[in-house]
Amino acid sequence: MANPSGILSPPRHDALSKAVGAERFAADLAPEGCLHAGAFRPGALLGIAHGRVRGVDAAAALAVPGVLRVLTAADVPGTNLQGIIHKDQPVLCGEVIRHAGDPVALVLATSAEALRAGLAALRADIEPLPGVFDPEAALKKDAPLVHQGRKGGNLLLGAVIEKGDARTALRSAPRVVRGEFSTPVQEHAFLETQCGVAQLLPDGTLDMTVSTQAPFRDRFEIGQALGLDPLRIRVRAPHLGGGFGGKDGATVQCLLGLAALNASGRPVRMAWDREESILAGYKRHAVRLRCALGADADGTLLAFTCRAFYDTGPYAHLGGEVMELGLEHAAGPYRIPHTRIEGRCVYTNNPIAGAFRGFGVAQVSPAFEGLLDELAEQLGLDPLELRRRNALTRGDVNCAGVRLDSSVHLVECLDTLAAHPLWLGREAWQAEAPACTRRGVGLAAVFNGMGYGRGLPDMAIAKVELTEAGDFLVYSGVADMGQGNSSAFALLAAQELNQPPGAVRLLQPDTALCHPSGSSSAGRTTYTFGNALLKACAAMRDKLLARAAMPLLRDTLEGLELVAGAVRHAATGKTLPLAVLARYLSRDDRICVADFLMPVAQDPPDTGRAFPIGFPHLFFAYAAHLARIEVDELTGRVRVCDYLAITDGGRVLDRSCFDQQAQGGVAQGIGFALIEDFQLRQGLIRSRDLSTYLIPTALDVPDTLSLAVEGDEDTGPRGLKGVGEVGLNGPAPAMAAALHRATGVRLRHLPFTPERVLAALKQRKTPSRRRA
Amino acid sequence: MNVLFPRDLKGFFKALAEPGARVLAGGTDLLVRLRANPQATANAPEGAGSATLVSLDRLAALRGIVEDSKAETRDAGPGNLHRTLRIGAATTHAELLAHPLVRARLPVLAQALAELGSPPIRNMATLGGNICTASPAGDSLPPLLVLGAEVELASAAGVRRMALAEFILGPGRTAFMPGEVLLAVHVPLPAVGCVQHFEKVGRRSALAVAVVSLAALVRLDRRGRIAEARLAWGSVAPTVWRCPEAEAALIGRTLSLTALSAAAAIVRARVQPIDDIRASAAYRREVAGNLLLRLAVL
Repeated sequence: MANPSGILSPPRHDALSKAVGAERFAADLAPEGCLHAGAFRPGALLGIAHGRVRGVDAAAALAVPGVLRVLTAADVPGTNLQGIIHKDQPVLCGEVIRHAGDPVALVLATSAEALRAGLAALRADIEPLPGVFDPEAALKKDAPLVHQGRKGGNLLLGAVIEKGDARTALRSAPRVVRGEFSTPVQEHAFLETQCGVAQLLPDGTLDMTVSTQAPFRDRFEIGQALGLDPLRIRVRAPHLGGGFGGKDGATVQCLLGLAALNASGRPVRMAWDREESILAGYKRHAVRLRCALGADADGTLLAFTCRAFYDTGPYAHLGGEVMELGLEHAAGPYRIPHTRIEGRCVYTNNPIAGAFRGFGVAQVSPAFEGLLDELAEQLGLDPLELRRRNALTRGDVNCAGVRLDSSVHLVECLDTLAAHPLWLGREAWQAEAPACTRRGVGLAAVFNGMGYGRGLPDMAIAKVELTEAGDFLVYSGVADMGQGNSSAFALLAAQELNQPPGAVRLLQPDTALCHPSGSSSAGRTTYTFGNALLKACAAMRDKLLARAAMPLLRDTLEGLELVAGAVRHAATGKTLPLAVLARYLSRDDRICVADFLMPVAQDPPDTGRAFPIGFPHLFFAYAAHLARIEVDELTGRVRVCDYLAITDGGRVLDRSCFDQQAQGGVAQGIGFALIEDFQLRQGLIRSRDLSTYLIPTALDVPDTLSLAVEGDEDTGPRGLKGVGEVGLNGPAPAMAAALHRATGVRLRHLPFTPERVLAALKQRKTPSRRRA
Repeated sequence: MNVLFPRDLKGFFKALAEPGARVLAGGTDLLVRLRANPQATANAPEGAGSATLVSLDRLAALRGIVEDSKAETRDAGPGNLHRTLRIGAATTHAELLAHPLVRARLPVLAQALAELGSPPIRNMATLGGNICTASPAGDSLPPLLVLGAEVELASAAGVRRMALAEFILGPGRTAFMPGEVLLAVHVPLPAVGCVQHFEKVGRRSALAVAVVSLAALVRLDRRGRIAEARLAWGSVAPTVWRCPEAEAALIGRTLSLTALSAAAAIVRARVQPIDDIRASAAYRREVAGNLLLRLAVL
């Protein structure tokens, strides 16, 4: 799509290689003679989401020609437990399966066909156990336990974020609106499913190439689960064919490592098909919220309370951390003096929930924005005006009690929206609805924290090398899952080194060559690594000028400058090509390394004590979204006609990448709001493939207009903030607002399927049936 | 997997006689099924090994669209002037959509094909394939039914014709005799003034299985009153569903909201859809009626 601002951006660094199919993803790798590994997940076949493993019968599978090994829990060295923070997920389940996708055996075969036949021939004896499938039911006294002998029972984590005295303030508030909201499980549905290859080298190194968002952390997760020294594990992370959070934490890694340990030194490939990806992959947490918002008669917000239940499935993964973000954002990007936000993250026998773009926040934005719209209606206020009055600005204390001495430009986003023709023309547009059609325009103000949060240092280490050829190689420490961070890195390095874009090459993360720089997540990637990279490049520039002095016969560094491919002495015009300079230097001297640590909130509020790590956040991206929709009265179908996303992501480094993040987030958010319908029954997935789990097509999303409100974040590299997640948080509340305008009904339970919308239309048509 | 590409019908019938052989048209349904179950072929004996697929790709006799003005059809469409289109069974949806007569004279079919699958699928998938798959949600079936289409079946022994309505017996079930193939579809061209309308309700705008669909072919008399109405719904019954009572209720009336609402009420009372992963029976019932109302605002 043409950039609405008319600014031309250079193409992304990775555009050509991906467009011509030259980029090698992990899914493309199948080394000569490699073995194929696959997990046996009997729960789905037997219709059991929770069960005791009585035995695995491998005889028939081992009789299949080409099947080499069938490994079970007894074959796993180490703890057999994986997990990012809480290690509670077996690599192979030996005693209990806790969801329908839990693996009980791993098959190694010489071909994909033999693997398939071997998996089909495996038999497991699983005794069904009573399961829990609803987080609130799981907290009842007599609920079956997902993990036996755990002190907290099924409660993974309970937490409170509090400011002032919300209960009292709510009681005395002149206006109070309340509601229960829910958001469903969402599937990442990345193009490239979970996959990788691994090989045990003669020197004992486990060498893996995996589609992963966290190669450095993977080494420790694999090492602990399989009893290996992390130093003996090498993980390479090529470009990912999508991640969205679903490749943060081990997917194939531990299984693949186990396979490689049993492959006599041969390479092993594991690639989940789409059905396995849906069955066993991590999902967005389903969440239920009960909230209340109190305000003055003039619309000044006074108090907010909320109780949230996060369904984390059978394993912790990042459940506590996802909930932390949700609670921290639950009251919205507003000034509210009194808040009390409680959350419970609960184990169930549903599929495993984990990280997903909009990490906990996409689940709360429909609630805070829904209540705000209802309040505006009750007070007879314009919903945009109500938001402008209460929107956070720099220096305010946010709803988690953090004073924002970071960049905050939500008001400017709202002002831009207020002046936009799509907003100014809304009444006329709505009035011109065709036959059998209702029109509605809705808006939403959203935000999303950046970085890991206090207590979990958010650090990156950048390494840049002057090559013998005289160009520069950046060793990326953070995987690129398609969001364009490597393109941003190349651009930042080229600018800082004053080189043409082609003079900077990028190496994707490789734990043997690059420095640990954290995961590709949390909207932190470009911010944290970019800052480290700018420091490394500045050090490189200074070093090269100093090293060039001798060959250029300069007594001082004065007047020396780095120009394209050379160091130049400005006064004499004398230049020293970098390829020549490189010959004066040892390899160690041609390398610069620098690190950066994201600042955290000083004087953090005394709340959220259940979150020793990750609370609170200091930096946020903000956005104001507008949706124009048409609702068909005969079918309840919703068409999104126009979409406007106005984003405060600090200063924009690369306009095309910035717009793509906004547009991609909106598309995924429209899917979340309207189409994607993850169906579960007693923990068993009914939407088992992409013919039943539908994601939006190009015809289901409009050309999203992306506008930027630019204001420097002083700590950011070139003033930028991360914008990868905020775009996903807007569509659901914007759709709910537009649907309310179109139908007169407030929908609070996602997704807004045609069936629910049609029911809403009927409800409104017949006043006698109208609900309170 | 073994794929044969016969170049004439003789070679085709010989290939089809191999044990476990199946016809491969566009493959957009068949390959998905074979991926799920590689051993599954309709008539493959147990342990027959991998499937043999007999491709229609090189058979000129199964492709193309010709107008046949002399043809006699048993179930002539409203206002039929004894003009029919003979559509080769292996003609792709994209080819049909590009054909001027299909676009001009069979909009009810063109509208259905335009929403079928996605551009790549329409480039591969064939009209014959959509018919032989006999899905309750097959997008071309409701239009072909209201148009009064006939199928031309061929085997090594000869050719026979039957009404499409008689050919499709149930979900995935047809009146094929062993060794038969669908050669062509004969579609009568309705009179120019007929109202033709198709609408599909899916869960998204492309690549969606119909939750409910409606094809309507309505002939009006000179005063704008309904002389004949043919209505067919997809995805609300094991095969395409007709509602003679609703059709009868429209005779003599105009395409007004009042008349259509009365017919819609009959539809809702008679239709017996099921719940599935895409929608509830209640939604299907409601929408099966509602879709008729669209005829008032075309």
